[in-house]
Formats: sequence, C-alpha cells, structure tokens
Amino acid sequence: MKQPGAQARLKKYVLRQSLCTGCGACVGMCPYQVIYKDRTVQLFDCDLPEGRCYTFCPRTPTDYNALEKTLFDPRDLTDELGPVRGFFLARAADAGLRLRAQHGGTVTALLGLAMAEGLIDTALVSGRNDEGEPQGTLVADKGELAGYAKSRFIVSPTVAAFNRIDAKDREKTGIVATPCQAQALAKIRTAVIDGCSQAQSVGLVIGLFCGWTLAAEKFRGLLERFFIPFADLDAMDIPPGFNMLELRSSEKTLLMPLDEVDEYVRGACRYCVDSTAQFADVSVGAARCGMDPGEMRGWNQVIVRSLRGEKLIELARQKGALEIREAPAGALRELKEAAAEKKRQGLENIVAKSGSKKNLLYLKNYGPAAGKRENR
Amino acid sequence: MNKLLSPDKSTVLFLGNEAIARGALEAGLAVATGYPGTPSSEVIESLAGVAARRNLYVEWSVNEKVALEVAAAASFSGLRAMAVMKQNGVNVASDFLLHLIASGTRGGLVLVSCEDPGALSSVNEGESRYFARMLEMPLLEPADFQEAKDLTKWAFELSEEIRNVVMLRSVTRMSHASGNVVCAKLPTKSRRAKFEYDGPVMDSQTGPMISTPVVAKHRLHQEKLKTVEALFEKSPFNRYSGPAKPKLLVVTSSVCFLYVREALSMLGLERDVGILKLATTWPLPPRLLERNLQRAEKILVVEEVLPFLEENVKVLASAMAGRIGVKTFFGKYDGTLPAAGELNPDIVARAIGGIMKVKPKTPPASYLAEVKKAAALIPAREQTFCAGCPHRASFWNIRRAIALDGREGFVCGDIGCYSMAALSPATGYNTMPTLHSMGSGTGLAGGFAKLSAFGLDKPVMAVCGDSTFYHAVIPALINAQHNRADITFIVLDNAGTAMTGFQPHPGLPVSALKETVPAVDIACVCRGIGAKVAVADPFDIDGTSKILTDYLAEKGSVKVLILRQACALSPEKKGKKTFNVRVNEELCLGDACGCNRLCTRVFRCPALTWDSARKKAVVDEVICAGCGVCVSICPQNAIVKAQGNM
Repeated sequence: MKQPGAQARLKKYVLRQSLCTGCGACVGMCPYQVIYKDRTVQLFDCDLPEGRCYTFCPRTPTDYNALEKTLFDPRDLTDELGPVRGFFLARAADAGLRLRAQHGGTVTALLGLAMAEGLIDTALVSGRNDEGEPQGTLVADKGELAGYAKSRFIVSPTVAAFNRIDAKDREKTGIVATPCQAQALAKIRTAVIDGCSQAQSVGLVIGLFCGWTLAAEKFRGLLERFFIPFADLDAMDIPPGFNMLELRSSEKTLLMPLDEVDEYVRGACRYCVDSTAQFADVSVGAARCGMDPGEMRGWNQVIVRSLRGEKLIELARQKGALEIREAPAGALRELKEAAAEKKRQGLENIVAKSGSKKNLLYLKNYGPAAGKRENR
Repeated sequence: MNKLLSPDKSTVLFLGNEAIARGALEAGLAVATGYPGTPSSEVIESLAGVAARRNLYVEWSVNEKVALEVAAAASFSGLRAMAVMKQNGVNVASDFLLHLIASGTRGGLVLVSCEDPGALSSVNEGESRYFARMLEMPLLEPADFQEAKDLTKWAFELSEEIRNVVMLRSVTRMSHASGNVVCAKLPTKSRRAKFEYDGPVMDSQTGPMISTPVVAKHRLHQEKLKTVEALFEKSPFNRYSGPAKPKLLVVTSSVCFLYVREALSMLGLERDVGILKLATTWPLPPRLLERNLQRAEKILVVEEVLPFLEENVKVLASAMAGRIGVKTFFGKYDGTLPAAGELNPDIVARAIGGIMKVKPKTPPASYLAEVKKAAALIPAREQTFCAGCPHRASFWNIRRAIALDGREGFVCGDIGCYSMAALSPATGYNTMPTLHSMGSGTGLAGGFAKLSAFGLDKPVMAVCGDSTFYHAVIPALINAQHNRADITFIVLDNAGTAMTGFQPHPGLPVSALKETVPAVDIACVCRGIGAKVAVADPFDIDGTSKILTDYLAEKGSVKVLILRQACALSPEKKGKKTFNVRVNEELCLGDACGCNRLCTRVFRCPALTWDSARKKAVVDEVICAGCGVCVSICPQNAIVKAQGNM
C-alpha cells in the first residue's frame, strides 16, 4: 500500500492527536492548509510523499537534542533550559515603554534596538486581524512596536507569516516566538527535503517563556460570558504570588483562578516540554523569584542562548537600551526546577497518550538515554 | 417548413419523440404540457415550435403533476391534450393520476412517458408500466417510428372511446433514435373548449369531475376496461410473425421487438422462432394471447428492466392452461434475461441462442483484435462539470466552507447537472453524499438537521438547481423553515433547465412559446417563507466562501444562498469568453511542494491540462470557457487573464 503523503501524516500524527500548537509552521506555503479560528484546516488533499508542512511542524517526530547540538554551542547546553550563555534580569531603559509593556519591556526594547542598529529591517510579532484573532504581523516602524508589547496567552500563527516572507528578507526579520514557534523555526533552518526545501536562513529569534496557552475559540466563548469582547482584551498576566489569571480590557480587569482556567488550556500545550523557548537566540520571561512581587513585575528574566543573541545583548549594554542586573541568588535554580517540572509533566502526558514509555510521540531520542549533559 | 407539419403521405425522417408529436398533431391535439426530462423533452419542444401554426397551447409546467393537471383541464373541456414526462415524472404525477382515472376524462387525454432503461440519463431505472396495472390505465408501447406516430394518434381515439386517460410509453432508444415515418393528414378543424358540470354525478361527460362515489365509479371504470380489452383483441398493432408452429415463441413489445428481430437474424433462426409483438401491453387481450401461446411449448418474454409483461402473460397462461397446455417460460424470473439495465441485440441473441442451443456467430478474431486496438485509443473520460461550469466554483466554495467549519458538514444532493458532484465525488470535492429524487435533498437536509439531539451534530446543507427549486423543493423548504431545521440551502441558479437543454422555467420571463411571462423570483419566495437570504456569484470565491462559512457557523433555521451564474453552455455565453486565460509558466510551481498541481489535480476544470513532460499547467484555449475562476485559485498567481470577447 502507498505510504500516506506528508499532509495525511500531519493530519494523522499531529492534528488528529491534538498535538497541533497552532504555530503556523505548516501554513502560508501552499493552498492546501490554512489557520482558521485557531485551527489548522486542511482544505484539500495534497498527495506529495514529502512536504514542508510535515517537515516544519514542531510536533512531527524530531530529535531536538541533536537539533540543539547542531544549532548551538554544545558547551552551553543544559538539561533543563537548553543552551545558556548568560542569565540575568533586564528591563527596558525607556520608562515609557515599560509602562506599555507586559513586564519589563525587554523584548520590545531589543527589537527596537535591532531595528535602529540595522540588524533587522522588520519585526514579526503577534498582532490581530480584523476579527480580533491573533495573527503574525510585520512591523517595520520602530515606533509601532510598543503597540504589540502585551501578552494574551494565545498562540498566534506567527510562523505562517514567516513562511510568506520572501526568502531574501528573512535574514533581516526579527521574530518574537513562543517555544513551539522557536522549535518550528529551528526545523525550518535545518530541514532539507529533496527537490523542494533547502536549509533556510532565519533572522533573530526572541523567545518567550511559556507555560501554556489558551484554546482561543473556547476561551473566546468564556470571555463573552463575562461580557469582554475578545477583540477588547488588552492583556493577560499571572501576577506573581497569586494563582490567578488576570484579564485586562480597557473597561475592566478580571481575575480568574488558574484551576478554572485549566479547561481552556490548549490541549497541545500539555504535551510540551519546553517552557523557555530553548531554540531562540535570546529567551525572555517574567521575573518570578528572589524579589518582592511588586518589584518583580517590572523586570524580565533573560537567557542568552546563541552568539547572535549574545551580540545583541552586548549591543544593548553599550547603547543603554536595557537596564541589566544580576539575577538574585537561586533564581537560575528556581527557573531550572520550574522548567524540569514542565518537562516532567509534558513527558507524563505524552506517555499517557501514547500508552508506552518507549513511544514519546514527536520526541525522538529524548530523555536520559539521549545523553547526560554537564550542568553549568 | 417545419418538418412536423409535413404534408399527407410524405415520408419524413423523425426522431421517435417527433413521431409522437406528429401523431398528436394528426389526432388534433390542442394542449400539450410537460416537464423537461431526458429522454422526453423533444416532444414538447417540437410541439412548441409549431404551436402558433397549429393553434396549440404548449407549456413547460412547474412539474409533472401540474403538467397532467393542466392537460386534464383541457380534456375536461372537450379538447385533446397530452402530458409528457420521463419515467419518474409519472411518480410525481401519480397522485393526481389515481384520482383522474377515477373521475374519467372527456377530450382524448394521453400521458406520454419516455423511459430510460439502463439509466443513461437518470439516477433511477423506474418503470411506469406498473402504474398502468396499479391504476388500471390502458398502456400502449410503440415498437418502431411509424408506430410511435400511429399509436399516439390512436391513443387519443382510445381515450375518447373509454373516456379515460391512456398511457403511451417510449424508451430512450425509441425517443432518441430516428426512422422514416409516413405522415397522414393533419386535421383542419379545431374544437371549442366547453366545460360542463351540471349533469348527474355518475355521468363523466356532463357531471362534476370528481372521483366519488368511489366504489361505483371504480366499477364503472373496470367495465370500460372490458371495452379496452375488446379493442386490443382487434388492434392491428399487435402482430405475430414467424412459422405457424415455432420451436420458440418470443413475446415482446417496444424496441425490444427490433432487438429480437436482429437477434434472430444474427442466429439464423427466423424460420424456427416466432415473434408475438404486442403494442397494447395492459390490459393484455386474452384471446389474442391464447391463439398465439398455443403455437409453441417454449415461451420467451423479452422486455427491458422488470418482468411486467412476463408476469401478465403468465397470469393469463395459467388461467388458460387447461386449453393451451403447460408452457415453459423463459424471461427475467428464470434469469434468461437480466432484470436490470438496457437490453441490446447481443444480449437477446445470447438468450435465444441459449434456449435454442445455437451459438451466435462471433466476428473473426482479426476484427476483434482491431476493435481492441481502437478501444485503446479512446481517452478515458470522467463524468465532470464542463469547463466554465458555475457548479465547479460553487462546490469549490462549499468544500472550503465545510473544511473551515471543521465539523464535517455535508451536502444533500438533488437532480440536475450538479448531481455529478455525487456521481463522480472528486468533481464535487467529496461534499455530496446523498442523491435521490427532485427536491429530496432539501427534505433530507431538514431531517438530518433535526438529529442533533440524537448525536448527529454536523452542519447540513442542501443544493438544488433553479428549475428543481420550483419543481419540488418549495414544500421541503417550507417544512424545514417551519420546523426550525437549521440548514444551509444553496440554489445553484444557472438561469435555465440546463441539463435537458435550457428549457425555460418559472424563474425566467419567457415561456415555452417564447412569450414574455412573469418570472417568479427565488429570493422572494425564500424571503416569503421567512428564511434568511443572500445572493452571490459563485465565481467570486472569497465572497461566496465567506457567506457560506458564516452560514455554517450561524445557528438558526433555513439560511438560503442563491448562487447566480449562467451555465457555460447557455445561449448567451456559448462561444464567448469573459477572459482569455493562460498560464505564466515561469511562475507555475507544477507538482512541487507549495502547489502540487492544485488546478489540474484538485480543481480539475477540463480546460486545465497538465504537461507531464514540462511539468507545467496549460490552459486548453479551445475548451476554456473563459470564466477566470482558476485565476483566483492559483497559489502562485501563475494563471493570468485578459479581457475576452464578452
């Protein structure tokens, strides 16, 4: 019997398994697949044996350990956090920007700097379409960046927008990516398919820490019960010290216990083992430890992963774009523990789904057998 | 001069359906009605062409039941009238027919059913001959083109003799084949219409036209059937040919008579086998049968589809077995002939050869080898929509909407060119899993939509064509709206009864007689029902897709989308191109990842062809109708269009 084609395998092993993260990696390259209302939809059947959709997907079988070794300095690799060349706290030096940002405004400040210094021409960030649904949005004007600074805990199909960028412009595009999107971009950088895809250059990737995202359509229904139109939702956050999700619109702020949020979490996020965007050049998250909550809210934790990331941070120091301070004692350990816990839960859920400790679904050669590493 | 008006004694090559029309004219027809349906449509079309000269009223009615009602009104008023339909049209007309036979008729009234054994242009192999027996209606079946004319003419006389409706049945190979017919005189006088109803209730000529008192009128009708039997005994249209004592007697009717003659000639058995050709197949004339069944011990009944004639002959033979002896019957019941599909001379020759232990002559091996070679040259063709067909664009939109919605919605199909979406699923992008009779798609959709409480929670759609909408969809649509069935109902309005040859329908401002008549607007009808209505152009892929996707997501009752775009073969479009379309080969991705031949592999317009050597799509400009839809589906913008000649 004929081996099912790439698109059929994507459907069987990812979409039907509820492993789709909605990252958009399989979309934007052909007429067969689109993202519609947060779902990856196969409009028509494609019968190619191999295709970019299957190859780029972060949830098709991948040896992420090997990929890390290819893309990063093996000496930087850690079990819990992937490559770590540097770790510190940071916030945008521009206080105005910080006010409009999720936490410290570090991501926006770094993109702005990269743009000002000509490292990138365009930033690819999470925006919204006319219906208020998230979509990858290209921003070429530094002044507009702050408008995209808030987080909404919903994956935008950013990689689909990346797929639509002309190959020649990709090197000069800075991308803000969730862990799954950073994984997809890492696969795009390295994937080779006979006769159709070569390893492609990908510009600067700024990763976001991510514990889970929400299933957008389900969550939209919930918001409507609270009379918050989805399009009016300005930001979400989990303030340190509370087990609550904070929802902010221009009209009101709501707090929802995380236990209640749980059922709105995207199913695919339960099978994720990367909470710190291990495949980014620089990863940024909220500061969570070592200070009083009020103060922490204004700061980011930053992991520098690649040489390219290191250069950007160096530039930020020189140009004064960021205020940088050493992370408090124990912060790295706490972050590692949190990341290891996410991995443990993810693996547990994967094994529960596959029914076997030997079948880790999309994770090839994963786990202790894949080789111990020195912790830094 | 229109050949239908050829002079007395002239010999004219007539299509079977034209011969029927000529027969009706010779009988002094005044009113002809029908609903288009292959293979019947040419009867009404050819009569419409001479309506002005012959002072006829001819109409394409909304459906077959109404057609028969309109024709019956003429009969009630003393005029000769005819209602014409295809086999399943008789089903539609049958409720009225049951009551009509009970009330009786006045002026000669003939129901013409042109049937389609083998379902060459049908989605059924319906048999209306059983209606003759079930409803007790005389049945006539012509066996050649001269008979098609002469029997039709006689049918009117018979109808007036018994004051009831007579059915004339033809089949595709009679209706759509041609043969020489010697014409008789066309009458010069015409009747005046007069409707009387003041007489006694039991007097069908002056009393009210009603079916009651039922039992009394039923008895009266059965007595009249005795008259029919007596007339059938003497009918010159029933003939025996062959030796006085044949080794095998073949009883047959209709075009099967021609097949039998050809089969006997192929087998060289003309001197051994006799043929009883019957034109009056219900009720059968018993004495005629008795005389002929006596001739042989073995009887073969040759007819198409169901064993109607066989059953009736056997019933008579068993009653007269004491006089004619016990016969051995061959036919459908013993499997000598198939009870499904068309017959042809080869099948009949095999059947007769089997009984007579004679092998049909086979062509020489060299001939068969040549045939095999020639057959290999015939390109494989699938059933598909024509180039530029609006239905392709409509189903493309439907497929997209179903996929985007994500709940595995489906379409209930209906009768028209768009039936192809069910007959050849890839043509309808695998969206249409049901197909039954006219209007049934909407009825079924309304039913599926009520099953969510039982766990069937998929969006349900129905499609129908513009002509089908008027024919039988409206009651189903009202039912869905009234019972709050949440359906998306799509009218594929291609501005005519396209499949049968662009006959007008109530949505168009023109009649069968080319008069200007009021058009009944589908959108207004739907709004009148209370349904939500939108109108779009299926060639506008984005606009149509958006409406459909919104409809599927929207909870409610009946949501109507009328997709308006004229058929690519319609007279106003034929030979003209809105756009000249070509492929920019530099941009064409071909079968690479990113396209994988979307236009030739999935969209599959016959004008888009795949050059497998150069791995590029090519527009066949001879076939291309210039609709330009493929331009909007190409992911590479490699299909480009320029203004055409329309």
